[in-house]
Amino acid sequence: MERTAPTAAVRQELGERVRLIAGREITFDGEGFFWDPHQWSEEAAAALAEEAGLKDVGEAHWTILQFLREYYFQNGRSPLNRQIKEGTGISLMEMEALFPGGIKYGARRLAGLPNPRNCI
Amino acid sequence: MASSRKTIYLDNAATTFPKPPGVLEEMIEVYSNLGVSPGRGSYDLSMEAEERVMDIRRQVCQFFGGSDPERVIFSYNATDALNTLIQGLIRPDFRVVSSRLEHNSVLRPLHYFSQQGIIRLDLIPFGSEGFIDPMAVSEAIRPDTSFVILTHASNVLGTVQPVERIGEICRERGVPLLLDVTQTAGRLPIRMEEWGVSAVAFTGHKSLLGPTGIGGLVLSPRLDVEATRFGGTGRDSLSLDHTRVYPQRLEAGTINVAGIFGLSAGLRCTSSRGMENIYSKEIGLARRLHHGLNSIKGVRVYPAILNDAPWVPIMLCNMEGMDPEDLASILDGDFGIAARAGLHCAPLVHEDLGTSPKGGVRFSLGPFNTDEDIDQVLEAMDTISGSK
Repeated sequence: MERTAPTAAVRQELGERVRLIAGREITFDGEGFFWDPHQWSEEAAAALAEEAGLKDVGEAHWTILQFLREYYFQNGRSPLNRQIKEGTGISLMEMEALFPGGIKYGARRLAGLPNPRNCI
Repeated sequence: MASSRKTIYLDNAATTFPKPPGVLEEMIEVYSNLGVSPGRGSYDLSMEAEERVMDIRRQVCQFFGGSDPERVIFSYNATDALNTLIQGLIRPDFRVVSSRLEHNSVLRPLHYFSQQGIIRLDLIPFGSEGFIDPMAVSEAIRPDTSFVILTHASNVLGTVQPVERIGEICRERGVPLLLDVTQTAGRLPIRMEEWGVSAVAFTGHKSLLGPTGIGGLVLSPRLDVEATRFGGTGRDSLSLDHTRVYPQRLEAGTINVAGIFGLSAGLRCTSSRGMENIYSKEIGLARRLHHGLNSIKGVRVYPAILNDAPWVPIMLCNMEGMDPEDLASILDGDFGIAARAGLHCAPLVHEDLGTSPKGGVRFSLGPFNTDEDIDQVLEAMDTISGSK
Protein backbone atom coordinates (compact mmCIF):
# COMPACT_ATOMS: atom_id res chain seq x y z
CA MET A 1 0.00 0.00 0.00
CA GLU A 2 1.40 3.40 -0.92
CA ARG A 3 0.97 6.36 1.33
CA THR A 4 -1.86 8.84 0.79
CA ALA A 5 -1.07 11.70 -1.57
CA PRO A 6 -0.48 14.98 0.27
CA THR A 7 -3.15 17.68 0.02
CA ALA A 8 -2.56 20.83 -2.04
CA ALA A 9 -1.96 22.83 1.15
CA VAL A 10 0.67 20.38 2.37
CA ARG A 11 2.37 20.34 -1.04
CA GLN A 12 2.52 24.12 -1.03
CA GLU A 13 3.94 24.19 2.51
CA LEU A 14 6.61 21.68 1.56
CA GLY A 15 7.74 23.77 -1.38
CA GLU A 16 6.57 21.73 -4.36
CA ARG A 17 8.38 22.51 -7.61
CA VAL A 18 8.46 21.00 -11.09
CA ARG A 19 11.74 20.44 -12.98
CA LEU A 20 12.67 19.00 -16.36
CA ILE A 21 14.98 16.02 -15.75
CA ALA A 22 16.18 13.68 -18.50
CA GLY A 23 13.47 15.04 -20.80
CA ARG A 24 10.57 14.55 -18.38
CA GLU A 25 8.77 16.88 -16.01
CA ILE A 26 9.20 15.70 -12.43
CA THR A 27 7.63 17.18 -9.30
CA PHE A 28 9.90 17.53 -6.27
CA ASP A 29 9.41 18.80 -2.76
CA GLY A 30 11.48 21.64 -1.32
CA GLU A 31 14.25 19.21 -0.29
CA GLY A 32 14.50 17.64 -3.74
CA PHE A 33 12.56 14.45 -3.03
CA PHE A 34 10.15 13.03 -5.63
CA TRP A 35 6.46 13.66 -4.90
CA ASP A 36 5.46 10.70 -7.01
CA PRO A 37 7.77 7.67 -7.02
CA HIS A 38 6.24 6.61 -10.34
CA GLN A 39 7.89 9.59 -12.05
CA TRP A 40 11.29 8.01 -11.38
CA SER A 41 13.38 6.43 -14.13
CA GLU A 42 16.97 5.22 -14.27
CA GLU A 43 17.74 8.11 -16.62
CA ALA A 44 16.33 10.61 -14.12
CA ALA A 45 18.32 9.01 -11.29
CA ALA A 46 21.52 9.17 -13.35
CA ALA A 47 20.88 12.82 -14.27
CA LEU A 48 20.18 13.76 -10.64
CA ALA A 49 23.26 11.82 -9.52
CA GLU A 50 25.44 13.75 -11.95
CA GLU A 51 23.90 16.98 -10.74
CA ALA A 52 24.91 15.96 -7.19
CA GLY A 53 28.47 15.25 -8.30
CA LEU A 54 28.24 11.49 -8.88
CA LYS A 55 29.38 10.96 -12.46
CA ASP A 56 29.46 7.16 -12.52
CA VAL A 57 26.51 5.40 -10.99
CA GLY A 58 28.07 2.01 -10.35
CA GLU A 59 26.78 -1.45 -9.50
CA ALA A 60 26.69 -0.81 -5.75
CA HIS A 61 24.67 2.36 -6.31
CA TRP A 62 22.11 0.56 -8.49
CA THR A 63 21.88 -2.32 -6.01
CA ILE A 64 20.92 0.14 -3.29
CA LEU A 65 18.53 2.21 -5.43
CA GLN A 66 16.78 -0.87 -6.76
CA PHE A 67 16.47 -2.41 -3.32
CA LEU A 68 14.98 0.79 -1.88
CA ARG A 69 12.42 0.99 -4.70
CA GLU A 70 11.48 -2.69 -4.68
CA TYR A 71 11.04 -2.67 -0.92
CA TYR A 72 8.94 0.48 -1.09
CA PHE A 73 6.56 -0.84 -3.73
CA GLN A 74 6.22 -4.20 -1.99
CA ASN A 75 5.69 -2.82 1.51
CA GLY A 76 4.32 0.68 1.05
CA ARG A 77 7.11 2.20 3.09
CA SER A 78 10.85 2.63 3.00
CA PRO A 79 12.92 -0.14 4.58
CA LEU A 80 14.21 0.16 8.14
CA ASN A 81 17.91 0.84 8.62
CA ARG A 82 18.75 -2.77 9.41
CA GLN A 83 16.64 -4.00 6.47
CA ILE A 84 18.68 -1.89 4.06
CA LYS A 85 21.86 -3.49 5.33
CA GLU A 86 20.38 -7.01 5.24
CA GLY A 87 18.78 -6.50 1.85
CA THR A 88 21.76 -5.01 0.05
CA GLY A 89 24.67 -6.54 1.93
CA ILE A 90 26.07 -3.02 2.10
CA SER A 91 26.56 -1.28 5.41
CA LEU A 92 24.93 2.07 6.10
CA MET A 93 28.38 3.52 6.61
CA GLU A 94 29.46 2.41 3.12
CA MET A 95 26.20 3.69 1.69
CA GLU A 96 26.75 7.09 3.26
CA ALA A 97 30.16 7.25 1.60
CA LEU A 98 28.89 6.02 -1.79
CA PHE A 99 26.37 8.81 -2.38
CA PRO A 100 27.08 12.52 -2.40
CA GLY A 101 24.61 13.82 0.17
CA GLY A 102 24.80 10.57 2.13
CA ILE A 103 21.94 8.21 2.94
CA LYS A 104 18.92 10.45 3.18
CA TYR A 105 19.77 13.26 0.77
CA GLY A 106 21.78 10.96 -1.51
CA ALA A 107 20.52 7.38 -1.74
CA ARG A 108 16.94 7.81 -0.57
CA ARG A 109 16.47 10.93 -2.71
CA LEU A 110 17.94 9.36 -5.85
CA ALA A 111 15.75 6.30 -5.37
CA GLY A 112 12.81 8.58 -6.08
CA LEU A 113 10.95 7.76 -2.90
CA PRO A 114 8.96 10.37 -0.98
CA ASN A 115 10.75 12.38 1.68
CA PRO A 116 11.05 10.32 4.87
CA ARG A 117 9.95 13.22 7.04
CA ASN A 118 10.77 12.08 10.51
CA CYS A 119 9.72 14.39 13.25
CA ILE A 120 12.88 16.31 13.91
CA MET B 1 6.78 -7.15 14.68
CA ALA B 2 9.37 -5.79 17.09
CA SER B 3 13.01 -6.41 16.35
CA SER B 4 14.65 -9.21 18.33
CA ARG B 5 18.19 -7.84 17.99
CA LYS B 6 19.72 -6.16 21.02
CA THR B 7 19.48 -2.40 20.82
CA ILE B 8 21.50 0.00 22.89
CA TYR B 9 18.76 2.45 23.69
CA LEU B 10 19.93 6.03 24.13
CA ASP B 11 16.71 7.97 23.57
CA ASN B 12 15.60 8.13 27.20
CA ALA B 13 14.93 11.87 26.96
CA ALA B 14 12.07 10.93 24.62
CA THR B 15 10.85 8.09 26.81
CA THR B 16 12.56 5.61 29.08
CA PHE B 17 12.73 2.14 27.61
CA PRO B 18 12.28 -0.53 28.71
CA LYS B 19 10.21 0.06 31.82
CA PRO B 20 11.53 -1.55 35.00
CA PRO B 21 10.29 -5.04 35.76
CA GLY B 22 7.09 -4.91 37.77
CA VAL B 23 5.82 -1.46 36.80
CA LEU B 24 3.59 -2.50 33.91
CA GLU B 25 2.59 -5.71 35.72
CA GLU B 26 1.48 -3.72 38.77
CA MET B 27 -0.42 -1.28 36.55
CA ILE B 28 -2.30 -4.09 34.84
CA GLU B 29 -3.03 -5.88 38.10
CA VAL B 30 -4.43 -2.80 39.84
CA TYR B 31 -6.35 -1.77 36.73
CA SER B 32 -7.81 -5.28 36.42
CA ASN B 33 -9.23 -4.93 39.93
CA LEU B 34 -10.07 -1.24 40.12
CA GLY B 35 -10.42 -0.08 36.52
CA VAL B 36 -13.76 1.69 36.97
CA SER B 37 -14.65 5.37 36.73
CA PRO B 38 -13.27 6.79 39.97
CA GLY B 39 -15.62 8.82 42.14
CA ARG B 40 -18.39 8.89 39.57
CA GLY B 41 -20.67 6.34 41.20
CA SER B 42 -21.77 5.55 44.72
CA TYR B 43 -20.95 1.85 44.40
CA ASP B 44 -18.03 0.52 46.44
CA LEU B 45 -15.69 -0.13 43.53
CA SER B 46 -15.96 3.45 42.29
CA MET B 47 -15.34 4.79 45.80
CA GLU B 48 -12.35 2.50 46.23
CA ALA B 49 -10.91 3.58 42.88
CA GLU B 50 -11.37 7.24 43.86
CA GLU B 51 -9.62 6.59 47.16
CA ARG B 52 -6.74 4.94 45.32
CA VAL B 53 -6.46 7.85 42.87
CA MET B 54 -6.50 10.30 45.79
CA ASP B 55 -3.68 8.35 47.44
CA ILE B 56 -1.70 8.72 44.22
CA ARG B 57 -2.39 12.47 44.17
CA ARG B 58 -0.84 12.55 47.66
CA GLN B 59 2.11 10.49 46.44
CA VAL B 60 2.68 12.86 43.48
CA CYS B 61 2.22 15.96 45.63
CA GLN B 62 4.79 14.77 48.13
CA PHE B 63 7.19 13.75 45.38
CA PHE B 64 7.25 17.26 43.93
CA GLY B 65 7.17 19.08 47.26
CA GLY B 66 3.68 20.47 46.72
CA SER B 67 1.32 21.36 49.53
CA ASP B 68 -2.18 20.37 48.41
CA PRO B 69 -2.94 16.94 46.86
CA GLU B 70 -6.23 18.27 45.49
CA ARG B 71 -4.14 20.53 43.29
CA VAL B 72 -2.50 17.58 41.58
CA ILE B 73 -4.08 17.52 38.13
CA PHE B 74 -3.68 14.54 35.82
CA SER B 75 -3.15 15.04 32.10
CA TYR B 76 -2.03 12.97 29.11
CA ASN B 77 1.57 14.16 29.12
CA ALA B 78 3.65 17.25 29.84
CA THR B 79 2.56 19.02 26.64
CA ASP B 80 -1.06 18.56 27.64
CA ALA B 81 -0.32 19.77 31.17
CA LEU B 82 1.57 22.82 29.89
CA ASN B 83 -1.27 23.71 27.53
CA THR B 84 -3.77 23.43 30.38
CA LEU B 85 -1.56 25.69 32.46
CA ILE B 86 -0.68 28.29 29.83
CA GLN B 87 -4.14 28.54 28.30
CA GLY B 88 -5.71 28.68 31.75
CA LEU B 89 -3.56 31.62 32.77
CA ILE B 90 -3.39 33.74 29.61
CA ARG B 91 -5.36 36.99 29.56
CA PRO B 92 -5.28 39.75 26.94
CA ASP B 93 -2.36 42.16 27.25
CA PHE B 94 -0.37 39.84 29.48
CA ARG B 95 3.39 39.79 29.25
CA VAL B 96 5.09 36.42 29.65
CA VAL B 97 8.76 35.64 30.25
CA SER B 98 10.22 32.39 28.98
CA SER B 99 13.53 31.29 27.44
CA ARG B 100 15.16 30.17 24.22
CA LEU B 101 15.95 26.82 25.88
CA GLU B 102 12.33 25.73 25.84
CA HIS B 103 10.73 22.76 24.14
CA ASN B 104 7.93 23.41 21.65
CA SER B 105 5.42 22.33 24.30
CA VAL B 106 6.05 25.74 25.88
CA LEU B 107 7.17 27.73 22.85
CA ARG B 108 4.30 26.87 20.53
CA PRO B 109 1.39 27.80 22.82
CA LEU B 110 3.17 31.04 23.77
CA HIS B 111 4.05 31.79 20.14
CA TYR B 112 0.43 31.21 19.16
CA PHE B 113 -0.88 33.72 21.70
CA SER B 114 1.85 36.15 20.80
CA GLN B 115 1.05 35.87 17.06
CA GLN B 116 -2.61 36.47 17.86
CA GLY B 117 -1.63 39.71 19.58
CA ILE B 118 -2.97 38.45 22.90
CA ILE B 119 0.30 38.45 24.86
CA ARG B 120 3.76 39.96 24.61
CA LEU B 121 6.48 37.38 24.90
CA ASP B 122 9.99 37.96 26.25
CA LEU B 123 12.36 35.07 25.52
CA ILE B 124 15.58 35.25 27.46
CA PRO B 125 18.77 33.77 25.98
CA PHE B 126 21.02 31.12 27.46
CA GLY B 127 24.78 31.36 27.83
CA SER B 128 27.41 29.44 25.88
CA GLU B 129 27.40 26.66 28.48
CA GLY B 130 23.64 26.21 28.29
CA PHE B 131 22.43 28.08 31.36
CA ILE B 132 19.99 30.91 31.88
CA ASP B 133 21.32 33.78 33.96
CA PRO B 134 18.89 34.48 36.85
CA MET B 135 19.70 38.19 36.48
CA ALA B 136 18.42 38.04 32.89
CA VAL B 137 15.12 36.73 34.26
CA SER B 138 15.07 39.56 36.77
CA GLU B 139 15.70 42.13 34.05
CA ALA B 140 13.03 40.64 31.80
CA ILE B 141 10.31 40.86 34.47
CA ARG B 142 8.31 44.08 34.03
CA PRO B 143 5.37 45.47 35.96
CA ASP B 144 2.92 43.82 33.55
CA THR B 145 4.65 40.39 33.49
CA SER B 146 2.04 37.85 34.51
CA PHE B 147 4.24 34.75 34.81
CA VAL B 148 7.63 33.23 34.09
CA ILE B 149 7.69 29.77 32.54
CA LEU B 150 10.93 27.84 32.19
CA THR B 151 12.30 24.39 31.66
CA HIS B 152 14.12 22.86 34.61
CA ALA B 153 16.60 21.14 32.27
CA SER B 154 17.17 21.50 28.55
CA ASN B 155 16.02 18.47 26.57
CA VAL B 156 18.91 19.06 24.13
CA LEU B 157 21.84 19.91 26.40
CA GLY B 158 20.75 18.46 29.73
CA THR B 159 21.81 21.61 31.54
CA VAL B 160 19.87 22.07 34.79
CA GLN B 161 18.76 25.64 35.28
CA PRO B 162 19.28 27.61 38.51
CA VAL B 163 15.61 27.49 39.44
CA GLU B 164 16.11 28.05 43.14
CA ARG B 165 17.66 31.46 42.49
CA ILE B 166 15.10 32.24 39.79
CA GLY B 167 12.36 31.18 42.23
CA GLU B 168 13.68 33.65 44.79
CA ILE B 169 13.66 36.43 42.23
CA CYS B 170 10.13 35.61 41.09
CA ARG B 171 8.94 35.48 44.69
CA GLU B 172 10.53 38.87 45.44
CA ARG B 173 8.91 40.35 42.34
CA GLY B 174 5.53 38.73 43.00
CA VAL B 175 5.46 36.86 39.66
CA PRO B 176 4.53 33.17 39.52
CA LEU B 177 7.27 30.82 38.29
CA LEU B 178 6.02 27.80 36.35
CA LEU B 179 8.42 24.94 35.77
CA ASP B 180 8.56 22.27 33.07
CA VAL B 181 10.19 19.33 34.88
CA THR B 182 9.91 16.85 32.02
CA GLN B 183 13.64 16.01 32.00
CA THR B 184 14.31 16.23 35.72
CA ALA B 185 11.34 14.54 37.41
CA GLY B 186 12.65 11.23 38.71
CA ARG B 187 16.27 12.27 38.28
CA LEU B 188 16.63 15.17 40.67
CA PRO B 189 14.70 16.17 43.79
CA ILE B 190 12.07 18.84 43.09
CA ARG B 191 10.82 20.98 45.97
CA MET B 192 8.35 23.32 44.39
CA GLU B 193 7.06 25.13 47.46
CA GLU B 194 10.52 25.50 48.97
CA TRP B 195 11.85 26.91 45.68
CA GLY B 196 8.98 29.36 45.23
CA VAL B 197 7.62 27.54 42.19
CA SER B 198 3.89 28.04 41.59
CA ALA B 199 3.35 25.07 39.28
CA VAL B 200 5.24 22.11 37.89
CA ALA B 201 4.28 20.26 34.71
CA PHE B 202 5.51 16.68 34.42
CA THR B 203 5.19 13.57 32.31
CA GLY B 204 5.02 10.05 33.67
CA HIS B 205 6.82 8.10 30.96
CA LYS B 206 10.35 9.47 31.16
CA SER B 207 12.42 9.25 34.33
CA LEU B 208 9.32 8.57 36.43
CA LEU B 209 9.39 5.19 34.65
CA GLY B 210 5.64 4.97 34.06
CA PRO B 211 3.71 4.35 30.85
CA THR B 212 2.99 6.89 28.12
CA GLY B 213 -0.34 8.74 28.26
CA ILE B 214 -0.04 10.10 31.78
CA GLY B 215 1.38 13.35 33.09
CA GLY B 216 0.14 16.24 35.14
CA LEU B 217 0.41 19.47 37.01
CA VAL B 218 1.04 20.24 40.64
CA LEU B 219 -0.27 23.68 41.53
CA SER B 220 0.55 25.82 44.48
CA PRO B 221 -2.44 27.24 46.40
CA ARG B 222 -1.10 30.68 45.35
CA LEU B 223 -1.98 30.01 41.71
CA ASP B 224 -5.43 29.84 40.16
CA VAL B 225 -5.82 28.33 36.70
CA GLU B 226 -9.04 28.72 34.72
CA ALA B 227 -10.56 25.72 32.94
CA THR B 228 -10.18 25.71 29.18
CA ARG B 229 -11.92 22.38 28.62
CA PHE B 230 -15.32 21.59 29.99
CA GLY B 231 -17.41 18.51 30.55
CA GLY B 232 -18.27 15.77 32.96
CA THR B 233 -16.50 15.82 36.31
CA GLY B 234 -18.73 13.74 38.57
CA ARG B 235 -19.55 16.90 40.56
CA ASP B 236 -22.49 19.33 40.45
CA SER B 237 -24.00 17.60 37.43
CA LEU B 238 -27.19 19.66 37.72
CA SER B 239 -25.32 22.81 36.81
CA LEU B 240 -24.25 23.64 33.28
CA ASP B 241 -21.30 25.53 34.71
CA HIS B 242 -18.11 23.54 34.89
CA THR B 243 -16.97 23.01 38.47
CA ARG B 244 -14.40 25.40 39.92
CA VAL B 245 -13.25 22.81 42.46
CA TYR B 246 -9.79 21.29 42.00
CA PRO B 247 -8.71 18.87 40.67
CA GLN B 248 -11.86 18.38 38.56
CA ARG B 249 -11.75 22.02 37.41
CA LEU B 250 -8.88 21.03 35.13
CA GLU B 251 -9.79 17.39 34.55
CA ALA B 252 -12.82 17.25 32.25
CA GLY B 253 -13.89 13.71 31.40
CA THR B 254 -12.74 10.37 32.73
CA ILE B 255 -9.11 10.39 33.76
CA ASN B 256 -6.53 7.86 32.57
CA VAL B 257 -6.94 5.47 35.47
CA ALA B 258 -4.59 2.80 34.09
CA GLY B 259 -1.94 5.44 33.44
CA ILE B 260 -2.32 6.85 36.95
CA PHE B 261 -1.79 3.39 38.46
CA GLY B 262 1.25 2.97 36.21
CA LEU B 263 2.60 6.37 37.25
CA SER B 264 2.24 5.37 40.89
CA ALA B 265 4.13 2.12 40.28
CA GLY B 266 6.84 4.05 38.44
CA LEU B 267 7.17 6.58 41.24
CA ARG B 268 7.46 3.81 43.80
CA CYS B 269 10.07 2.08 41.67
CA THR B 270 12.06 5.33 41.40
CA SER B 271 11.93 5.76 45.16
CA SER B 272 12.80 2.16 45.97
CA ARG B 273 15.78 2.14 43.61
CA GLY B 274 16.77 5.48 45.08
CA MET B 275 16.66 8.53 42.83
CA GLU B 276 20.18 9.46 43.91
CA ASN B 277 21.50 6.00 43.01
CA ILE B 278 19.85 6.07 39.58
CA TYR B 279 21.12 9.58 38.93
CA SER B 280 24.68 8.95 40.03
CA LYS B 281 24.93 5.83 37.86
CA GLU B 282 23.44 7.59 34.81
CA ILE B 283 25.55 10.69 35.22
CA GLY B 284 28.75 8.68 35.68
CA LEU B 285 28.13 6.89 32.38
CA ALA B 286 27.12 10.14 30.68
CA ARG B 287 30.31 11.88 31.77
CA ARG B 288 32.34 9.00 30.40
CA LEU B 289 30.45 9.18 27.10
CA HIS B 290 30.86 12.94 26.94
CA HIS B 291 34.58 12.71 27.60
CA GLY B 292 35.01 9.91 25.04
CA LEU B 293 33.05 11.70 22.32
CA ASN B 294 35.06 14.84 22.88
CA SER B 295 38.25 12.95 22.12
CA ILE B 296 37.05 11.51 18.78
CA LYS B 297 38.31 13.34 15.72
CA GLY B 298 35.64 15.34 13.91
CA VAL B 299 33.06 15.00 16.69
CA ARG B 300 31.64 18.09 18.32
CA VAL B 301 29.74 17.71 21.57
CA TYR B 302 27.25 20.08 23.19
CA PRO B 303 27.53 21.20 25.92
CA ALA B 304 31.22 21.41 25.11
CA ILE B 305 32.36 21.64 28.70
CA LEU B 306 30.74 20.03 31.70
CA ASN B 307 32.69 21.20 34.74
CA ASP B 308 30.64 20.52 37.86
CA ALA B 309 27.56 22.31 36.59
CA PRO B 310 24.24 20.58 37.30
CA TRP B 311 23.39 18.32 34.42
CA VAL B 312 21.10 15.45 33.49
CA PRO B 313 22.51 12.75 31.18
CA ILE B 314 21.62 14.32 27.82
CA MET B 315 24.09 15.54 25.20
CA LEU B 316 24.11 16.50 21.57
CA CYS B 317 26.81 15.73 19.06
CA ASN B 318 27.66 16.16 15.42
CA MET B 319 30.25 14.57 13.18
CA GLU B 320 32.07 16.75 10.73
CA GLY B 321 30.90 16.23 7.15
CA MET B 322 27.96 14.01 8.03
CA ASP B 323 24.25 14.72 8.14
CA PRO B 324 22.97 13.99 11.68
CA GLU B 325 20.14 11.86 10.32
CA ASP B 326 22.69 9.73 8.46
CA LEU B 327 24.83 9.42 11.56
CA ALA B 328 21.79 8.21 13.53
CA SER B 329 20.91 5.76 10.70
CA ILE B 330 24.44 4.33 10.69
CA LEU B 331 24.46 4.01 14.48
CA ASP B 332 21.15 2.18 14.29
CA GLY B 333 21.59 0.05 11.18
CA ASP B 334 25.24 -0.90 11.56
CA PHE B 335 25.71 -0.83 15.33
CA GLY B 336 22.26 -1.30 16.91
CA ILE B 337 22.40 2.03 18.74
CA ALA B 338 19.15 4.00 18.98
CA ALA B 339 19.76 7.75 19.28
CA ARG B 340 17.65 10.67 18.15
CA ALA B 341 18.68 12.96 15.30
CA GLY B 342 17.19 16.34 14.50
CA LEU B 343 15.99 19.36 16.40
CA HIS B 344 14.36 17.56 19.33
CA CYS B 345 11.35 19.93 19.25
CA ALA B 346 13.58 22.72 20.60
CA PRO B 347 14.30 24.82 17.50
CA LEU B 348 15.63 27.90 19.27
CA VAL B 349 18.27 25.92 21.15
CA HIS B 350 19.65 24.65 17.85
CA GLU B 351 19.40 28.09 16.30
CA ASP B 352 21.55 29.51 19.08
CA LEU B 353 24.01 26.61 19.06
CA GLY B 354 24.43 27.03 15.31
CA THR B 355 23.17 23.49 14.63
CA SER B 356 19.94 24.52 12.92
CA PRO B 357 18.28 23.45 10.62
CA LYS B 358 19.57 19.88 10.70
CA GLY B 359 20.24 19.70 14.42
CA GLY B 360 22.41 16.94 15.79
CA VAL B 361 22.36 13.47 17.30
CA ARG B 362 21.20 13.38 20.90
CA PHE B 363 22.34 10.71 23.31
CA SER B 364 20.21 10.47 26.44
CA LEU B 365 20.88 7.82 29.03
CA GLY B 366 18.51 5.91 31.23
CA PRO B 367 18.49 3.56 34.20
CA PHE B 368 19.33 0.49 32.15
CA ASN B 369 22.41 1.72 30.33
CA THR B 370 25.70 0.05 31.21
CA ASP B 371 29.43 0.59 30.89
CA GLU B 372 29.41 -1.84 27.96
CA ASP B 373 26.84 0.33 26.17
CA ILE B 374 29.13 3.33 26.47
CA ASP B 375 32.13 1.30 25.25
CA GLN B 376 30.15 0.22 22.20
CA VAL B 377 28.89 3.71 21.39
CA LEU B 378 32.39 5.15 21.61
CA GLU B 379 33.77 2.33 19.48
CA ALA B 380 31.04 2.87 16.89
CA MET B 381 31.58 6.63 16.80
CA ASP B 382 35.33 6.09 16.48
CA THR B 383 34.80 3.65 13.58
CA ILE B 384 32.44 6.04 11.81
CA SER B 385 34.82 8.93 12.32
CA GLY B 386 37.67 6.81 10.95
CA SER B 387 35.67 6.09 7.78
CA LYS B 388 35.43 9.79 6.91
